[in-house]
Amino acid sequence: MALSSHTTSTGFLLPSIHSAPPFFTKQPNPITNSTATEQWIRLISEYARFKRLFYLRIDDCEATGNDWDEILRNERINRRLLPTYLSYIIETMIEKGLAEYEPPKQTRSVILYWRAPEEWAEALHGWVVSTGRLNTIMTFYEITEPEIESPLSGIPLPLLRKCISILAKTNRSQIIAIPDGEGARFFARSTLQ
Amino acid sequence: MRRGVGLAAFDRHEQSKRSFAELSTQLSESQVQHLHSQLAQFRTALAHFATNHRDSIRKDPNFRHAFQQMCSSIGVDPLAGPKKGGWWAEMFNLGDWQYELGVQIVDICVSTRERNGGMIVMEEVIRMIVKLRGVSDAEITEEDIVRSIKTLEPLGAGYQVIDVGGKKMIRSVPKELDTDQVLVLVTARERGGRVVEEMLVHGHQWTRERAHAALENMLLRDGLCWVDEQDETYGRAYWIPSTMEWD
Repeated sequence: MALSSHTTSTGFLLPSIHSAPPFFTKQPNPITNSTATEQWIRLISEYARFKRLFYLRIDDCEATGNDWDEILRNERINRRLLPTYLSYIIETMIEKGLAEYEPPKQTRSVILYWRAPEEWAEALHGWVVSTGRLNTIMTFYEITEPEIESPLSGIPLPLLRKCISILAKTNRSQIIAIPDGEGARFFARSTLQ
Repeated sequence: MRRGVGLAAFDRHEQSKRSFAELSTQLSESQVQHLHSQLAQFRTALAHFATNHRDSIRKDPNFRHAFQQMCSSIGVDPLAGPKKGGWWAEMFNLGDWQYELGVQIVDICVSTRERNGGMIVMEEVIRMIVKLRGVSDAEITEEDIVRSIKTLEPLGAGYQVIDVGGKKMIRSVPKELDTDQVLVLVTARERGGRVVEEMLVHGHQWTRERAHAALENMLLRDGLCWVDEQDETYGRAYWIPSTMEWD
């Protein structure tokens, strides 16, 4: 049988391995397994980046009608990623620092780091500087839903908090309590406040 | 010759024996010389032919094959020679060509090893080499691959061309395939890569235990196949990537 790559209706190019039926089963041979899992991780990360998806849940492979349908199942060969395998893939992603359980203390939902939190933090700081918002207090909402779309548009709050705390380590940010929730203030590099 | 009866007859006999010996040495010497000159002539002719048709030999696989066959039928090994790379290299840089091909074969075998367990179909290698080379003016044939793999032999990497039910496969891991595994490979090839125990039990009159053991060994021990637990008919199927066609 010929295995070929496939472009989904949303324009994402699926690799040829995605049309191999055994790809959707966790492999018992450790070497084979690590190859397959590696492929899954790459596929998930690339797809998340492509569609700007931040969350992956075990439920996503159990039911249809979510953002992950194109990846977690292949209707053309009638296969879907099994939940046990997905949770193994997620564990491996966490080990590699590519994901984190969110909310914590459960294992059915993760936030994906297709960009490392440190990179997100730098992007956030870069955006603040380039839009002239240094030293201004901003609400979280202003950051995640700016009027003019930014690289940070739509990032989930846990990730935003993480970014702010990363920047705080180098004294470039500060979380501030404001009347309707939380806000943050950013400073130029190496300014001690 | 006069038949002598006295003592002198012995002398005469000795003498004629000596001259016969001399004559024979002379004869064989001239024969050897003749052969030498013939060989030299042949070599020049072959060299001349090779240089004249250098481009055709490098470009046209049929021509190359015919030339190689001619060489081997008259007992000349183009790879053997005083210089590194042999006479091929000396004559028309085909040594490099052969080595280059060898490197590409190794490249493909190594890069696909994790997914196929070190077994790959000949056509697949050829297809991937052509792809790897991009726009290629020269075609690659099975003979070229076989020849290149031969040149890899001294490296002791254990690359081998094996025959699996009439289909050539390249094995890049020094692993012996037993007859059961070969049969599984043949079955997989016929069925587009998918094998289930049932096929071996009904198709080859194996016991279920034997079929199970052969497949599980290939899966767990050798990494030659992948398991699919969502098979529509049997629930559990084995897929052998080296017999599947990949992009």
